[in-house]
Amino acid sequence: MMFLLRRAVWIVVTLWAVYTVSFLLMRFVPGGPFASERQMPEAIKRNIEERYHLNDPLWMQYRDSLYYVVFKWDFGPSYKLGDFSVNDVIYQGFPVSASLGILAITFALFFGLTAGVISAARRNTPWDVVSMAFAALGVAIPNFVLASLAIVVCVFWLRLLPAGGWGTVRHLILPSLCLAAPVAAYLARLTRAAMLDVLSLDYIRTAYAKGLSERHILLRHALRGALLPAVSYLGPATAAVLTGSAVVEKIFNIPGMGSHFVESALQRDFTLSLGLVMVYTALLLVFNALVDLSYALIDPRVKME
Amino acid sequence: LYEGLLRRMPAPDAPPPSNRANTPYQPQFATADEMKVSKDGRTYTFHIRETAKWSDGSPVTAHDYAWSWMRMLHPETESEYAYQLWYIAGAEEYTSAKLEVGAAVEVELADRPNRLQTFPRGTILRGVLKEIHTPPGGDEKAADAATIYGVEVDGKLRSFCREPTADSRQTVEELQQILPDFAATVGLKAKDDHTLVVTLKNRTPYFGDLVAFYPLYPVNRACVEKYGTPGFTRAENLVTNGPFKMQFRRIRDRVRLEKNPYYWNADEVQLNTIDAMAISSDIAALNMYETGQIDWTTNVPPTIIPDLRQREDFHTAPILSVYFYRINCSRKPLDDKRVRQALNLAMDKQKICERILRAGEQPATNLVPPGITGYTPPQGAGYNVEQARHLLAEAGFPEGHNFPKIEILYNTHETHQALAEVVQDDWRQNLGINVELRGLEWGTYLDAQNKLEYQVCRAGWNADYSDPNTFIDMFVTDGGNNKTGWSNARFDELVAGAATETKPAVRMDLLRQAEEILIDEQPIIPIAFYMSKELVRPSVQGHSLNAMKIHPLHLMRKRKASGAAAP
Repeated sequence: MMFLLRRAVWIVVTLWAVYTVSFLLMRFVPGGPFASERQMPEAIKRNIEERYHLNDPLWMQYRDSLYYVVFKWDFGPSYKLGDFSVNDVIYQGFPVSASLGILAITFALFFGLTAGVISAARRNTPWDVVSMAFAALGVAIPNFVLASLAIVVCVFWLRLLPAGGWGTVRHLILPSLCLAAPVAAYLARLTRAAMLDVLSLDYIRTAYAKGLSERHILLRHALRGALLPAVSYLGPATAAVLTGSAVVEKIFNIPGMGSHFVESALQRDFTLSLGLVMVYTALLLVFNALVDLSYALIDPRVKME
Repeated sequence: LYEGLLRRMPAPDAPPPSNRANTPYQPQFATADEMKVSKDGRTYTFHIRETAKWSDGSPVTAHDYAWSWMRMLHPETESEYAYQLWYIAGAEEYTSAKLEVGAAVEVELADRPNRLQTFPRGTILRGVLKEIHTPPGGDEKAADAATIYGVEVDGKLRSFCREPTADSRQTVEELQQILPDFAATVGLKAKDDHTLVVTLKNRTPYFGDLVAFYPLYPVNRACVEKYGTPGFTRAENLVTNGPFKMQFRRIRDRVRLEKNPYYWNADEVQLNTIDAMAISSDIAALNMYETGQIDWTTNVPPTIIPDLRQREDFHTAPILSVYFYRINCSRKPLDDKRVRQALNLAMDKQKICERILRAGEQPATNLVPPGITGYTPPQGAGYNVEQARHLLAEAGFPEGHNFPKIEILYNTHETHQALAEVVQDDWRQNLGINVELRGLEWGTYLDAQNKLEYQVCRAGWNADYSDPNTFIDMFVTDGGNNKTGWSNARFDELVAGAATETKPAVRMDLLRQAEEILIDEQPIIPIAFYMSKELVRPSVQGHSLNAMKIHPLHLMRKRKASGAAAP
């Protein structure tokens, strides 16, 4: 219980620090938020700045925005997307990214763990070589190459899946596989290495001596011990996948949060990028806390302190 | 979604649309069914058709237009296009809240139902401004807040102030906003429900084009006042008067339009649903077009244009947009006209169009694109290395000796970069000068341009209305879109003269003379006139190319209805 409480306090403090730093950083980059090729008469420009309180001193802007975020859970209007608030953007984008991300993580866990376990159990056999070759490819091939290949094969040759867009489950499959590939590959390599370590330990030998089936030993005893590195990698990976990927979203034209991340920074959309950074940070912290909690569940030797 | 008094549509006598040529478009009656222009060209009387309705069933009236344009001009609306209405008498003064003692004013009391929303406004008192008393000292903001206005309302002198002090509250009333009296000073009146009278400052031959331009379309007052800005634009709140209404809008996904049953011309509208997809990548759009997910796309990746040009469903024609380079005339040695001319002469624009842009763009020697009725643009100098070298030598840099390194600035994009590389090569080989390239992200690029922190800078301009003025008046001295530091008294005179000239032919001639000065002085290097590049499925009918890339959706139809039609 104390553990949870302390973690919660730390999360809040970290969020506050991240908020403050991002707020200041974004104010000091060159290029005003309302620069546009059609230059406006001075009066109009001033009005726009006034509406967003850009005329107030910096500390007042900071104080006001912090108050709204903390007490009203409101990140304010987006600087650039005129009639959408930051909350709108997150409410619309997050479910898309999250459903894509959950599917991707599921794929990654399934393929990654399976490949890792098989190649460890069948070390130095063709099974091992093939799985690890795929894993190496998965880590090495950049997202956009994989996505383009996937489109050529699945969309134009096989005519199985739509080229992009959003709406049905069929739209989800290709992009989530592309998102899953690097995570799965990395997971496979982590699992294989950890499995090899565990398989040489005494308790596994004991299990074999007791005459347990190989399947039982691998899945019940060895995998449990070998999961730790994979789990600690999964925390940040899940947070990243859930918040979307700009590249995959662009290629498949998916209305998720990843592109907002990149765009809002490029467009100097102060409030939006602040909101997104906060969502990402919160997810990252929560998943890291979950990872720490799960250590205790997986490995009885870890105690909460 | 919305519709103006007029809207641009294919001319009645237009030939059948072609996929390689523009169809002539002109402003035609839309919500209005009659327009009378007075002899001096300054008074426009519009009659609004009795059948025009909003998507909630209520009638569209002249009051809707008067209110919408007032809202657009109101300083607190911060409309970026307010200046398009400044052709109306008194309009600019209203937007800039220019107050004069003795003039009619409207005082809005500080009793708005919602202080953060400009509309609905608080109680409006109309009267005559008698005195302005500004307390001395303090900065501009404090002085403005403490200024006391004496206004005669219904024969009684009353005092108003933005922020009255506790003491003065006895005698001074708090005001929200004080502006010139809209009804008395701005040339815009709703005579009755169906008659709108507009009085302009000067004769403006393209006012019809402006009325047909989307910023001058009306908004629904009840809707704006009930939900506020930006709440009224939510799909569930929005009330519109065009052929379609909005079903939903999802960021980076799509806007879904459905037919508006109350539209006055609803029988003509053939499509029931239109999905306008938000696709940021040209390649993703192409993939979706090729696999039948969308029916129409207005941009294609330049690399595949040579292949597409063979195809029937590829539509391309010139548009009123120009690609050009600005030259910073406030920096040495670019302040020398001969140097600027040399840079222009040493640039092979033909090569740029053929190798980089690839959609049949025409090399530009002047600023205003061809195709504006009544205007014959002047011809500037073409590619001439010999003369360029000569001019550069005359300016004191024979063979480019001692010429400082210059830099071309552009907003980061493959095409702009490739184009700048060609120019870099041309200038280095033809003139012997050193050129560097710098790509910047959009916001920073605009900032550098505005502050004149560049030497040569990429730019583009689309026509807002079909008149050379939309291009030429950018470059008047200190004009907001000049951004070159260039100034020429004779040029300014000609542009100002054209604005008040009543004879169309003389006016066009003045503008032509102005453009001649511009391309001789060369504060800009025009490079190419853009082309439209669209893929349209053959089953889509009613689509036609035009110089301003306007596509009235209510004229479109799809052969063989197949459920939802994509954009």
